[in-house]
Amino acid sequence: MKRIVPFILTIALLAPSLAAASPSKKVKPAPAPIPLEEPAEIAPPNDLFEPINRVTFAVNDGIDAILVNPLVAIWNGLMPSFVRTGVGNFFNNLDDVYVGVNHLLQGNGSRAGVDFERVAVNSTVGIGGLIDVGAKMGLQKVDGDFGQTLGVWGIPTGPYVILPLIGPSTLRETAGRSVRVMTDPRTYLDTVPSYSLMGLEYLQTRADAKANEGLIAASSLDRYVFIRNLYLQKRSLMLKSVQTPQ
Amino acid sequence: MKEIGNRMVRLVEQAVRLVAVLSLLLGAMISSNAYADAPAPDELVRKLAAEMTTAVRSDPELQNPGSLKISDFVQKNIVPRFDFERITQIAMGRNWVKANPAEQKQIVTEFGKLLTRTYSNAIATLKDLDVEVKSTRVLTPNADVTVKTQMVGRPQPVAIDYSLINGPAGWKVYDVTVEGISLVAAYRDEFAGLVSQSGVSGLIDALKKKNGD
Repeated sequence: MKRIVPFILTIALLAPSLAAASPSKKVKPAPAPIPLEEPAEIAPPNDLFEPINRVTFAVNDGIDAILVNPLVAIWNGLMPSFVRTGVGNFFNNLDDVYVGVNHLLQGNGSRAGVDFERVAVNSTVGIGGLIDVGAKMGLQKVDGDFGQTLGVWGIPTGPYVILPLIGPSTLRETAGRSVRVMTDPRTYLDTVPSYSLMGLEYLQTRADAKANEGLIAASSLDRYVFIRNLYLQKRSLMLKSVQTPQ
Repeated sequence: MKEIGNRMVRLVEQAVRLVAVLSLLLGAMISSNAYADAPAPDELVRKLAAEMTTAVRSDPELQNPGSLKISDFVQKNIVPRFDFERITQIAMGRNWVKANPAEQKQIVTEFGKLLTRTYSNAIATLKDLDVEVKSTRVLTPNADVTVKTQMVGRPQPVAIDYSLINGPAGWKVYDVTVEGISLVAAYRDEFAGLVSQSGVSGLIDALKKKNGD
């Protein structure tokens, strides 16, 4: 028995220090910060018309300040939010027809199916598109337009352009936009209803966008460049989303 | 008796060895538990979102854009969870090495200030929106992940992804992606433009001017 006591004592003394020593061995060391991969040379955005674009950008800002902002303020002030939501939904519903057509042109039948299902549901149960019943049923609105279709067909983006009144675009998106305008039934209505409907859609679109404009102005160093980056990221994403099967 | 005594000694020795092994194991377990206490990144995002939502909903001052309380709250609870150095490095790309260490430090500070100042007020939206953690994409196990979330409460949910990196101070956010658009990448062209026009010092001046100091 005498042999045991020192043995126990040794172990008893050692055990805690062993146990204490073990964490440093057993703890996974916090991983060394992952080095950033060698930053790739970022291709500067294609902005061939930058000098002209900056002028148009400034003019648009001027028109916004004098005309669009006051109109948006009146629109927001006069119309309760459910009316504004309804108007937004109404134009989104018309847009979904175009989205569906484009998904078909892109060879994406299943997406087009969802788009047309949305139109069918929203035009009927959703009272002519005023309520987005489709979204509540899990049929989410997806972006799609002729510019995207041209991209799927392999037509390059082309240089960035700022369109008067409308704002950021590229040559390809501008081409897509003209197809849209030419095929829009509203274009062929009488002048007054045609312009009223387009004006209303413009106003609603701008009213929606206004919410983010303050944030963009506050966070950017060069608003022109910041908006260009956001726009080009958004467009390339729209194209990628239909090119990669999900 | 001697036989029994010897056997007992052996038994006790074995028991002692067992205890020693157990205590080693236990020590390892405790230490690995201590490690596990650092929450997984998706848990971290979920926990932060829940804490912030509760705070914003229970304190009207946190719903008041520009209030001092918001900036205090953000400084204390959110800023420590962001890796501004990495954010700045990504935004600067190749120009990062053109700045000397003192300039790098200055850019990190000023850019962090700009981001904190402009995006702080966004926490007020948590008043009527909820954050749902959807999934996590692991880029490098235990080191680099993207936590995908959705802000719900409006007709259209908004997808917000947080890229996190694990370091000595735990998981930290190094990019926020809104509907697929990266906020850090959004600054790349601006930074590159300023550096090519007026050098690193030009970028620092622009950041300082924007921050109003």
